Amino acid sequence: MSQSVLEINKNDLSPEGVSRFESALGPIAVYELDGAYYATQDGCTHARASLSEGEILDGELIECPVHGGTFHIPSGRAVGFPCKTPLRTYKVSDAGATLRIDLECEAAAACVRGETHVHGA
Amino acid sequence: MNASCAAADSAVDITLHHRITQFLYREARLLDGECWDDWLALMADDIHYWMPMPENRRRADSMKAYEAGRGALFDDGLLDLSRRVARFKQPSAWAEDPPTRHVHVVSGVEAFHAAAGEYIVHSTFVNYRSRGERDNDSLVGRRQDLLRVHANDFQLARRTIYITQSVLLAKNLNTFL
Amino acid sequence: MTARMADFHTSWIEAPKLERLMDLENGRMSRLVFQHGGLYEQELERIFARCWLFVAHDSQIPKAGDYITTYMGQDNVIIVRQKDGSVKGFLNSCPHRGNKVCFADAGNARQFICNYHGWSFAIDGRLKGMHASEAFDSTGFDPAGHGLHPVAQIDSYRGLIFATLDPHAPPLAEYLGDMRYYLDAVFDMDGEGTEFVGGCVKSVIRCNWKLAAENFVGDALHAGWTHDSGARAMVGEGVGELHKNPQQSYQVNFNGHGWEFNQDIIGNCASLGDKELVKYLYALQPHVAGRLDEFRSRMIGSISSCTLFPNTSFLPGQNTFRTWHPRGPQEIEVHIWTFVNKSAPPDIKERWRKGSMLTFSPSGVFEMDDGENWEYATRTNEGYLTRQQDLYIGLGGNTRVYDTGLPGNVHQGQVNEANQRAFYQRWLDLMGSASWAEVPQRDVPAEASV
Repeated sequence: MSQSVLEINKNDLSPEGVSRFESALGPIAVYELDGAYYATQDGCTHARASLSEGEILDGELIECPVHGGTFHIPSGRAVGFPCKTPLRTYKVSDAGATLRIDLECEAAAACVRGETHVHGA
Repeated sequence: MNASCAAADSAVDITLHHRITQFLYREARLLDGECWDDWLALMADDIHYWMPMPENRRRADSMKAYEAGRGALFDDGLLDLSRRVARFKQPSAWAEDPPTRHVHVVSGVEAFHAAAGEYIVHSTFVNYRSRGERDNDSLVGRRQDLLRVHANDFQLARRTIYITQSVLLAKNLNTFL
Repeated sequence: MTARMADFHTSWIEAPKLERLMDLENGRMSRLVFQHGGLYEQELERIFARCWLFVAHDSQIPKAGDYITTYMGQDNVIIVRQKDGSVKGFLNSCPHRGNKVCFADAGNARQFICNYHGWSFAIDGRLKGMHASEAFDSTGFDPAGHGLHPVAQIDSYRGLIFATLDPHAPPLAEYLGDMRYYLDAVFDMDGEGTEFVGGCVKSVIRCNWKLAAENFVGDALHAGWTHDSGARAMVGEGVGELHKNPQQSYQVNFNGHGWEFNQDIIGNCASLGDKELVKYLYALQPHVAGRLDEFRSRMIGSISSCTLFPNTSFLPGQNTFRTWHPRGPQEIEVHIWTFVNKSAPPDIKERWRKGSMLTFSPSGVFEMDDGENWEYATRTNEGYLTRQQDLYIGLGGNTRVYDTGLPGNVHQGQVNEANQRAFYQRWLDLMGSASWAEVPQRDVPAEASV
């Protein structure tokens, strides 16, 4: 398995809906929303914080636990104040018992967004 | 504060607006003069007279500043109001002797048609009370009333009073607003 | 109007010797305790920064993240329910530059964020992060030392949450002592406990906090005169002549806490003028008698009042509960709630919510006449010669009874000033002690009240 793919066991996912995993690029937040899986950088782009300690709101937003700012999980887009810079996202492939997170490829929704990001993990 | 605004085209005409305004001014003058029985006679039998104490809550909170069933300085039906009046009239109401000097200033009157013979009336008020040498208290707020035609005049069926103070800056409230 | 040191010229004068302020055995006390700025500052240190103070009822903060803000003395505090069900309290001031952190009276939060520099605190007080946090990295900043300042101790009894700013204060159970026996009569009638209904009504009275506290600790006497108008308005006749049947009533005190009460079961409740509430208590009384005892079952709504030292009071039967927050020697901010049994039907709870505010709030037909008494009992002491006169506090000097089997110091007859004297004795003891270790142990909890 190359360094550019992070493989995780679905059993290791937290029932809260968001879990933190270490990777070659630093900590990654992995989300489960209604049976679909997503991954973003774990670090908030606003200030130092771990998004995996935050709450999932409205079924698709991650709220940073420090200042309450929000990001759209599938695209990484910054939604609520004080977040401005989008999250780096990662393409997730569902392999049955495991998830394969491609550390070199953005999620599909992020590509549609068309913005470049500043990697702030 | 209740921000619902009736549409402009349900506003009452100028003659009715004048009569409603005069009703509110007269009510204020009755209170200024401690004419308690006359004031009580303006209340409908089903009056709900409500003045909630506002709480400081964040905008995102589902509970708002003014909520039913919370702290209130008035949350009265007719019996409750008449008990308050009964106290005012007691010779042993020591906090009323010597009398307080009251002025109720009413302004910003808007009146709209509601159900037949009923009107939704908004107004603002400033209430001054002065007692003894230098006991001066003032309160400012809004009122939203439901007025009902009664005989050749009106009666008050509902009043909600929104004061601005979340801590009442007075030792008591010995009038109606 | 906030009282500041400079407003009270007497604060420049050395505080009077404490022992000259009270002659309780002879029923005399000094007016300076209601007026002197230096004594007030000393109270902030030796009473309010040291005693257990009521901060919240369990029912106000049921879920994790639920909070209320309140005061301990003049310190604004946040009381917040934790994820593990415990309760924590913190000074409501950012440790960075001091700004107030939480501006709401109540709510639910996942964090508290200071508006000034975005310092964000977890509900357990820990500093979680700051706006522009990278700026702090180069200074070797360690968030661990910069959380919200916690209160020293926090605990509860029968749903009433108390906190203290003094780490050396004795445990709450010991502090409340024998009063717990009596508190059960109202706050533990049926095993399900109580809750606060409705919100908080707040107001200002320009009086010294002790005048309000002493009134509720033992002043049954004033009801017949001050509240004649309220009683006539609510029930058509004046207050009963309590002094004519002293064998039916008592004053009980313990380390400054005091409860004066009749054995008439429903006297206070009846003043709300609502037959349904009286019926409810009459129906409940035999169950309380079986569960606790006959004596306490006759207290559940009787003509009575109580103050828990220093500044929290309540009236059974009218079910009003309040704290007199000090704001200088001549002002208080009163926070008023209504309590009910959790098990009471919703209709009964609603009747009590409305009835207690109709009678005991700033617009209350009873409370309306108290404010002026206390304001002018405070204000007359602005007079130079007036404040040098003594005050009388000697009623009921020979009413102590023994061998009743009841815990605490028991006096016959609620028309009495025994509880007031005990309140000021405790005040004097605390004011004269540099620490809890020095405070005289006048009353020790009896075994029965554990």
